Amino acid sequence: MQIEYQTQRLSLRFFMLMLVLFLLQVGYGLVLATQHVDPSVQAGTINFNIARAEHLNLGILWILSGFIGAILFVAPLLARREMVAPWLIKLLFYALIVIAVWNFFTLRLAQYGIAGWWHGQPWLQQGLEYLEAGRIAGVLVLVGFAILAYVVLRTFPPVRQWNEIHWGLGLGVTALMAVWVFGLFYVARLDLQEYFRWFVVHYWVEGVWEVIHISLVGFLLVLMFKVDIKSVGFAVFWGVALVWLSGLIGNAHHYFWIGTPEFWQFWGSLFSALEPLPLVFCFWHIYLDAHTNQRPLENAPAFYFILGSVVLEQIGAGILGFSMTFALTNVWSHGTWVTPGHAHLALFGTFGMLGIAAAYYAVPIMRKAPDYDQRLGKLGFWLVLTGVLGLAFAFALGGTVQIYVYRILGLGWFGGDVSRAMGLFKLLLPMFGITFTFGAGILAYDLFTLGRRVRAPAAADPRGVLHGDAALPRSNTGWGRPLSGFEAGIWLMMMWVFGGIITLGLLSFNLPRVRVLADPTLPYLLAGVGYPGLLLVTLAFVWRFLASLEARASLPSPTVAANVLLPLPVRS
Amino acid sequence: MSCGVGGSSCETPRRRGAFVMLGIMTLAFVVLSLFSFMKSRGQVTPDTVSYGPYKAEDGKRVFQAYNCMGCHTMVGNGAYLGPDLTREYAQAGPAWLAAFLPSAGSWPTAAAVRAQLQDPVQHADTGAATIEAYDGKFPEAADRVGRRGGKPSNMPNLPLSKDEIGQLIAYLKYTSAMNTEGWPPRVEAEAGLDERVRLALGVQAIAPAAAAPAIPPVAAAADPAARGAQLVKDNGCTACHATTGQRLVGPGWGGLYGSRVSLADGSSVMADDAYLVESIRQPNAKIVAGYPASVMPSYDTLLKNDEVDAIVAYLHSLEKQ
Repeated sequence: MQIEYQTQRLSLRFFMLMLVLFLLQVGYGLVLATQHVDPSVQAGTINFNIARAEHLNLGILWILSGFIGAILFVAPLLARREMVAPWLIKLLFYALIVIAVWNFFTLRLAQYGIAGWWHGQPWLQQGLEYLEAGRIAGVLVLVGFAILAYVVLRTFPPVRQWNEIHWGLGLGVTALMAVWVFGLFYVARLDLQEYFRWFVVHYWVEGVWEVIHISLVGFLLVLMFKVDIKSVGFAVFWGVALVWLSGLIGNAHHYFWIGTPEFWQFWGSLFSALEPLPLVFCFWHIYLDAHTNQRPLENAPAFYFILGSVVLEQIGAGILGFSMTFALTNVWSHGTWVTPGHAHLALFGTFGMLGIAAAYYAVPIMRKAPDYDQRLGKLGFWLVLTGVLGLAFAFALGGTVQIYVYRILGLGWFGGDVSRAMGLFKLLLPMFGITFTFGAGILAYDLFTLGRRVRAPAAADPRGVLHGDAALPRSNTGWGRPLSGFEAGIWLMMMWVFGGIITLGLLSFNLPRVRVLADPTLPYLLAGVGYPGLLLVTLAFVWRFLASLEARASLPSPTVAANVLLPLPVRS
Repeated sequence: MSCGVGGSSCETPRRRGAFVMLGIMTLAFVVLSLFSFMKSRGQVTPDTVSYGPYKAEDGKRVFQAYNCMGCHTMVGNGAYLGPDLTREYAQAGPAWLAAFLPSAGSWPTAAAVRAQLQDPVQHADTGAATIEAYDGKFPEAADRVGRRGGKPSNMPNLPLSKDEIGQLIAYLKYTSAMNTEGWPPRVEAEAGLDERVRLALGVQAIAPAAAAPAIPPVAAAADPAARGAQLVKDNGCTACHATTGQRLVGPGWGGLYGSRVSLADGSSVMADDAYLVESIRQPNAKIVAGYPASVMPSYDTLLKNDEVDAIVAYLHSLEKQ
C-alpha cells in the first residue's frame, strides 16, 4: 500500500513524538516502581508524587499523540481528500511539545507547594490525579482539541454521507474536547470535585477514547484485511452504542464512596456491569474480521498490537473492571493496589497498544519500507505484553495482601505493617518493569529507524527470515492450525471463568470468617488462582491466535485482492 | 428494506434510537446528580468547617498545591504509596498531625505530641490538655507514637508553613466529618494487635512501646552532654535539627555554639548559652534568617531548667562538620 494523500504524512511526527513521550513515561514508571520498594530513593529530588504526576501526565499525552497520529493517517482515506488546514496540524504538533515541556517543569512545583493560585484557579499545577496539569496547560490542551476536532470535521464529507466510522471518529473528537471542559474549574467541595473529576477521567476513557478506539480498530482492520466496511460498520455501531449506553450511568461506579448518596451504588453496580459488553463485542469482531480471509499477515507487528489492544481491553477493562465494579467488591478493592492492576492493562493495553499498532501500520508505508524486518517489532510486542501482564499480576496480588492487612486487620501504614506485608509483590514491580522497558526500548528503536537501517542480508526465503518463524506453522504442537470460532469462544470463556474467580475472591472479604475471624485463606486462594490463571490464559490465547495467523505465511498465497474500496453511503 | 444495498447504511434508524436512549439516560443521570448535592442530604461542606482560625477551604488548596493525592488516597482516590487520609483527623487528631507535618521525615515522639498540646487552638478543638486525655480521645495516636515514635518515616520533609499546617488540619477535619457511605469499611477483626501483626507478617510483633514509659526517666548522668543527647532523642528534636550543620526543617546544630547567627530581622546574634536557652524556651523570639517563624513549639513548660542546661551542654559538644 502507498500513501494516497500527502497530508497523511503529517501523522509521522505525531507517532515519533508518541514514542519519545512513551519512553519518558516508562522511565518515570521505573522510578515509581523503585520507590515502592525503597521510598528513600531520590526522595527530596524527585518525590514519588512528582514522578507519579509526570507518569500519568505523559501517559495521557502519548496516548493522545498516538490517537492524533492514527486519526490524521486515516482521516484523508475516510474523507477521500486531503486534510484541510495542514498548518493547523503543524501548530497542534508544536503545541503538544510545548504542553509536554511546560508540564514537565510545572508538575515539579508540587514539591514546593506552588500551585500558582490566581483568581481562585491553580494556573501552574493542581494536584488532582490524572488532571495534575494547571489551568494554563489545561486551556492550551482545550485549544489543541478544538484544532483537532475542527480539522477532522472539516475534512470529513457532509454528515449525510457519513458511515459508522465517520460517526465514531466525529463523535469521538468532538466529545474529547467537550468532556475536557469539566476539568477546567476549581471546586471547593471534595465530593463535587471528585464528581466532576470523574466526568473527565471516566468519560474520556469509557466514553471518548473507547469510541475512538473502536472506530480506529475497525478501520485498521478494513485496511489490513480488506474486510467489508459494512460488517465493520455494524460492529462499530453496536460497539459505540453499547459503550455509551452502559458507560454513561456506569460512571456511577466512581460515586460509591466519595460522599455522594448511597443510591449510586445501585446504579453504578448495575450499569457498569454491562460495560464489558462492547468489549466482548469488539473482541469477537476482531476474531471474525481477522479470519474472514485467509491471506497471510503482511504487517505482523501492526496486527500483533491490534490484537494485544483488544485482548488487554477485554481482560483489563472488561474482566478486571467487572470484578471491582460492584459496591460489595469495590468497597475492598477501592483505594488499593488492586485498581492499578486494572488501570495499567486497560490504559496501556487498550489505548497505548492501539497507538503503537497504528504507528506500525503507517510508518512503513510512509517510509516506503513495506517489507521491513518485522522481528524487532514482534520481540518488542512479546516483551511489553509479558511486562504489563506481570505488572498487573504484581499489583493485583499485592493489592489483595493490602486489603487483608489494611482493611481486614486494620493495621495502618503507621505501624509499618502494610508495605512490609506487600514486600514480595513490591519487588516484582521493578522486575516486570524492566522487562517492559526493554520491550518499549526495542519498539521505539525499531520505529525510529524503520526504513532507515541497513537491510538484513537477503536469505533464500526472505519471508521466513523476515518473519523469523518459518518453522512455527509446521511445529508439532498444532498451535498453528486455524483458530475456529468455537475455540476462540472457549478461550474467551476461560478468561471469564478466571474473572469470576477473581470477583468471588474480592466478594469473599465480606464473609464473617474473613472479616471477623481474620482468616485470609479463601480470598488468598481465589486471588492466587484467579489472577495468574487469567493472565496466563491471556498470554496463551494471544500466542495461539498469532500462531494461527502466522501459519498462513507458509500456505500458498491466494491472489491478492484488488485495492480496497471504501464505499461511502451515498444517501441514507 | 434496502439497507445494506447500494451503500446505504443499515444503522441509521438504529442510530436514532440509540441517541434517544442516550438522551433518556442522560436525563436520569442529571436528576440523580441533582439529588446528590441537595442541601437536604446533609453532607458536610468545607465552608462550615474550621480548625481555630484555619479554614478547611484553604486547606484543600494546600492539599492540592502539594499534590498530596500523588502519594496518598483521599476518599480512596489517589496513589497507593502512603495511607488513606480521609479519616486521618478522626484517628490521630490535630496534635499528632501538627507534630508530624512540619517534620514528616520522622514519626513524632510522645514529647513532640505533648509540645503541641500547649497550642490553644488544639486545646479549644479537642479539649485535651494532657497527653493522657489526648490519647484517650485519639487512641490511634498513642499506638503510632508507641510503635514508631522517633523512627524515620517514608515521607519526605515538605516546606509547609505554620499556616499551611493549620489549614491542612482543618481540611482533614472536614474530610473526617464527611459521610462516605461506610468507606473505608469498619475493621471487625477481633484479634488483638500482636495477633494481627503476626497474621500480617508471620512474625511476632516487636513488643509495643506501651511497656516502656513514653519518656524513660533519664538517669542523672555524670556527664551533662550525654544526658542532653538522651533528652534530644526522647523529645524527637532530631526530626527537625541535624547534628551536623545541615538544614533539615530547622537549622543544623553542628558548630552552632559560639558562632554568629544572622536573624530574619537583619541583625545578628552570638549563639551563646543565653541564645540557645531562649531558642528552646521561646523559639519565636529570634528567628534565623531564611527559616519560617512559628514552626517550632515552645518547650518552656515541658523541660526543666537542668534539662535545658543538659541539652545546651550537648550542643556545645557538636563540632562543625
